Amino acid sequence: MINETRRSRFLLYAGLGVFALFALTPYFWVVRTSLLTNFAAINPETGYLPALDALTLTAYTDIWNQFDFVTFFRNSLIVSISATLISLVFSIPGAYAFARLDFPGRKLLFYTAVFTIMFPWIVITIPVYEVFYVFGLINTLPGIIIALSIFVLPQTIWLLQGFFRQGIPENIEEAALIDGHTEIGAFLRIVLPLSAPAVGAAALFSFLTAWNNFLWVFVLTSDADVRTATVAIHFILGSDVLREWNILMAAVVLLVAPPVVFYGLSQRYVGEGLGGA
Amino acid sequence: MARVEFDNITKVFEDTSGPIIAVEELSLDIPDGEFVVFVGPSGCGKSTTLRMLAGLETITDGEVRLNGEPVNDISPRDRDIAMVFQSYALYPHKTVRGNMGYGLDLSTDLNDEEVDRRVVEAAEMMGIEDLLDKKPGSLSGGQQQRVATGRAIVREPAVFLFDEPLSNLDAQLRKHMRTELSRIHSELGITTIYVTHDQEEAMTMADRIVILNDGQLQQVGSPKQVYYRPANTFVADFIGSPSMNFFDVDLEVASDGTGTLVGNGFTYSVSDSLVDLVGGDGEYILSIRPENLNVDPSAPSERSFEATVDVVEVIGSDNFIYLDVAGKECRLRAPSETEPEEGDVITVSFDEADLHLFDRNTEEALVHGHERAESTPKVIEQEA
Repeated sequence: MINETRRSRFLLYAGLGVFALFALTPYFWVVRTSLLTNFAAINPETGYLPALDALTLTAYTDIWNQFDFVTFFRNSLIVSISATLISLVFSIPGAYAFARLDFPGRKLLFYTAVFTIMFPWIVITIPVYEVFYVFGLINTLPGIIIALSIFVLPQTIWLLQGFFRQGIPENIEEAALIDGHTEIGAFLRIVLPLSAPAVGAAALFSFLTAWNNFLWVFVLTSDADVRTATVAIHFILGSDVLREWNILMAAVVLLVAPPVVFYGLSQRYVGEGLGGA
Repeated sequence: MARVEFDNITKVFEDTSGPIIAVEELSLDIPDGEFVVFVGPSGCGKSTTLRMLAGLETITDGEVRLNGEPVNDISPRDRDIAMVFQSYALYPHKTVRGNMGYGLDLSTDLNDEEVDRRVVEAAEMMGIEDLLDKKPGSLSGGQQQRVATGRAIVREPAVFLFDEPLSNLDAQLRKHMRTELSRIHSELGITTIYVTHDQEEAMTMADRIVILNDGQLQQVGSPKQVYYRPANTFVADFIGSPSMNFFDVDLEVASDGTGTLVGNGFTYSVSDSLVDLVGGDGEYILSIRPENLNVDPSAPSERSFEATVDVVEVIGSDNFIYLDVAGKECRLRAPSETEPEEGDVITVSFDEADLHLFDRNTEEALVHGHERAESTPKVIEQEA
């Protein structure tokens, strides 16, 4: 009996191990290649685990010198943080209204918002471009910020309303009303502090969605100086570094680093927020 | 300190399936300092009524007055009330001290020291002074309940509202808190409205009990009044545990004026005074409490009936005997030494002074046999 339990447990972990290896190998390969010289990256003798003295940061210094990454990252940060803040400013009261208030058209509005999450954005690129063109927002950072805020908003509303609905008992707000708060006061002073985990989770998702967004930035910009890092990588891939795998992979690592850091900072809250606790 | 008046209040909830009447034309006057318990089954409108008084629910029609002032359009914070919720509704991010002092901070100009002094005082009253610096999450249910009550006490409001505050506690703690809340009420003398679905809680705590069903007021009265003189079959059934026995009976008056109640499975001779009170032949509902039924083999046959024992539940102090009377269940509460076997046929009798008669159509009370009750409805004079 014991043997059987052990064997099935061993098989389970072996299976999980294979699966994890399969999932993690591409990420390992990206980091490995970014730390090699261009020659070593394509040399079959380098091996899966390159020797320590073969590792170098030249790809990173090359790419930093070759392209205007400072601008790209600055744009990405401005755009992602602004879009996150703007979407939170609108989605927190919006989600609260959807969760708590009963107003005409509540369901219709809510399902419209949820529907836009599922809607394939690529279908509406041309009309969106037209609208932004009319308002003179093409090739501007405010244009990108507005676009990303709008497209991030439904997902944030959806996430937060679930938390407000289930995570905060109505009686707590009622107790605050009796204790002497107005409805707005009860929301700001009691509900919002209790919602920090959910707001953190919503902020993280907004930031990631905005940071990783390719489509809208690509459609709404053509000048290099308003490009975000995500779109810049696309152009770098198509430029004269086409065969320089180490540089391409270094670009990818740089692109991914900020969201990972951001996640690391907020993950303490995020788990709680998603758990609805 | 406040007098609370409900003047013909109605609450209608709009639902997709149509309007739902939660409370219908309820009128009630609660004098200053009274402990009133609203009791009724789930969905009877008791919590809705309380929430309308608190200002957490709008009032569809009618007027609620506090000390004579209409409060329909006054926000909860300006009503000078404090409420204890079933879920306690403590602020999880504040300490016990913070929870208790929050209302004072917001609604009064007291300085921090004064607030703290009152918080400590209320905490001592509730026996939670050791918990002041803890967060609600680390407290047991009973402790949270005390904090919630303490938070209400510290406000020294005009009215205390309790919405099923003890429902989440275990039986023993519930009984303990019951006495404690009664003690606090007698110490502070603040008007208290308490909502519960537990008739035992209502009986033990209330000065007056308000019984609601389907949004309609059934009866208002002292615990003794609603127990001995239920206004209708609903109240009779709801108050008392195990609940009352009901039998459909016909009163047959013989030519010599003697009356007999004839039901399915038994006949019972009644006195002339009872016949006079109900006014002759007719269809009634006879009801009798389980504790008023006796197992009495020597009872005269015209004042007893035979029943088969279905189940005997041993409680310790008493035995609950479930009987079959011509296919209808009948409950009897007997002393613990009376313990018939299942299937036994026993003779059951009761005193005429303990019976209640209700109109079979309206289900309103006609006669209460009990001497302990006062007038209206009619009461049988005891025969010497």
